[in-house]
Amino acid sequence: MNFKSWRRLLLILVGAGWVTGCTSESSPYKYTVVFSQCNNAEPYRAAQNAAMKKLWGEQPDVRLVVMDAQQDSVRQIAEIETAIRMKPQLIIVAPNERAPLTEVMKRATEAHIAVICLERDIVEPDYTSWIRVDNRAIGRMIGQFVVDALTKKYGEPKGNIVEIAGLKGVEAETNRKLGAHDVWDKYPNIKVVTESVANWSQSLAKDRMTEILSAVSQIDVVFGRSDPMAIGAYLAARERGREKEMIFVGIDGLSGKAGGINQVREGLLAATCVYPLCVDKAVEVGTKILHDPAFVPEKQYTISSRLITPETATESP
Amino acid sequence: MTGNLWKYLKHHGQPFIGLLLILILGTILSPRATDGSIVFLSLGNLTDVLLQQTEIGIIALAMTFVIIGAGIDLSVGSVLALSAAVSALMLMVWNPHGPAVLQIGLAIGASVLAGALIGGLNGLVITRIRLQPFVMTLATMIGVRGFTKWLTGNVNVDLGFGDVPSGQFAELFSSKSFAITIWIVFAVIAHLILSRTVYGRYLRAIGENERAAAYTGLPVRGVRLATYIGCGALAAFAGLIHAARSHQGNPNDGVGYELDAIAAVVIGGTALAGGRGSIIGTVTGTLVLGLLTNVLRLHMVDSNLELMIKAVIIIVAVWLQRRSSGAHGEL
Repeated sequence: MNFKSWRRLLLILVGAGWVTGCTSESSPYKYTVVFSQCNNAEPYRAAQNAAMKKLWGEQPDVRLVVMDAQQDSVRQIAEIETAIRMKPQLIIVAPNERAPLTEVMKRATEAHIAVICLERDIVEPDYTSWIRVDNRAIGRMIGQFVVDALTKKYGEPKGNIVEIAGLKGVEAETNRKLGAHDVWDKYPNIKVVTESVANWSQSLAKDRMTEILSAVSQIDVVFGRSDPMAIGAYLAARERGREKEMIFVGIDGLSGKAGGINQVREGLLAATCVYPLCVDKAVEVGTKILHDPAFVPEKQYTISSRLITPETATESP
Repeated sequence: MTGNLWKYLKHHGQPFIGLLLILILGTILSPRATDGSIVFLSLGNLTDVLLQQTEIGIIALAMTFVIIGAGIDLSVGSVLALSAAVSALMLMVWNPHGPAVLQIGLAIGASVLAGALIGGLNGLVITRIRLQPFVMTLATMIGVRGFTKWLTGNVNVDLGFGDVPSGQFAELFSSKSFAITIWIVFAVIAHLILSRTVYGRYLRAIGENERAAAYTGLPVRGVRLATYIGCGALAAFAGLIHAARSHQGNPNDGVGYELDAIAAVVIGGTALAGGRGSIIGTVTGTLVLGLLTNVLRLHMVDSNLELMIKAVIIIVAVWLQRRSSGAHGEL
């Protein structure tokens, strides 16, 4: 390799360095807050990011850094390892999965960094505080709505349910399912005919539902453990001309045109549950941690939810 | 001595220069920790990078052998997932009775054996039926992924914590000192095999010109079969570290790892056409990718931009390789 080649390689690397330098801000912020998001691609997560940026943006002495793990636990571990080296005052983590993230979050707390678990927790309680939603209660809420809908349809609680599951092993997936089954298990004529895993993805849910529609002749209810998965199932049923045969229920209840509340209003979903972003509380608790050394946060804060039906969807959130 | 070193660097030096430049850039651009120290150069950060690159690093060692032999192995990511799943299932579900050492030993043995068998299947079909390596390993990439999902019911198998055998396994294999040492040991062994053994010379000869090697009586089939078996076994070993680090056997993990490994090999100066390459180059290529990622993450560069910059580095590396080898038409 000659001198020219070395020079070109050097120029490209310096260029990369310049890009690096340009895209990151070196500034006199007093506090650094790292937000490790598990997957920016989900609408719920994008809404969390937007709220996080807005609320921390109102505090001029705080630099917020958002990391995207792209639904990859190993990547999220590596990102948190890097974040620990930067010694921020606070790390907020929306864990991709419980078990994989447990050890690295323990290391963050051992490095005397305050750690807030956002919405999902980890296996061991190695965090400062966990802002949570009671997923089991949400599951029960949706479960009861389904029982009422089936009773209205058949005059008694009976029917076939298809479940579209999110990422297995995640607390939300486990407890949303358990909550719904707490209700359904009381009615022997309500049957879950199949469950398919779509990892919170609308496109995967559509694919799985297409397969289910080929295999199952009678479906009364599709329970997507998130609104995008319920919508994915709806789109698959509409392609087959079977969307009127069943109702679709989900969880998230985001506002906005593409959010679950509007989809209930439009009649695509029969119901959804508002799954709070938890960001307001996280920023409130985080701010106190940053500014008040004497502040001791509670280990858990539970944010309440509510059911959205066509009757309540017209109300402002 | 100095002349020989300069000659070596002149012909094979681009990954080292790349590594040096990234180290310089990383140091200059590194953010400062709250105590004023350079985050990039801290021992903790540099060993974090080594640990994070261990899985790709081990796979890349095996991929170097495969590529020098004018082959390719696209199934390594799926084999990694299979190995992680088998080890987790052995420790959590199938649960062979006996002391923890035995349970962990059986989990390691079963996982590495599974990887070696997949590698053997690749090697047998490639050498006996003469299917192209790309096609055969693409098929095993898909098939092994499906098998792993079937084996686990497409559910992640979480490892335990604390003194249970799975917890001990995770603690050992995810510890920095163990994982990094294993990578270094494998790299030294791989370097010696490639540069000091008859097998290494045969492999280069086969990669350079398979027909000529066959005419001169070299055991082409045996060498290729051994290479793919070794590749499968090493990918499985990387899977053990992956399972420990992610604390689970996830049947969906390892997607794209084969491409990261190939990228590390290519940046390290190994010719994709076969016959030429080195373990030192591959280790350097792996470090280039790891340190580059670290520099970008320390600067909180958008993860999408991170991928684009990596793509540029790979193209530049291959382009420089072509220039240094004097080949302008093909690789």
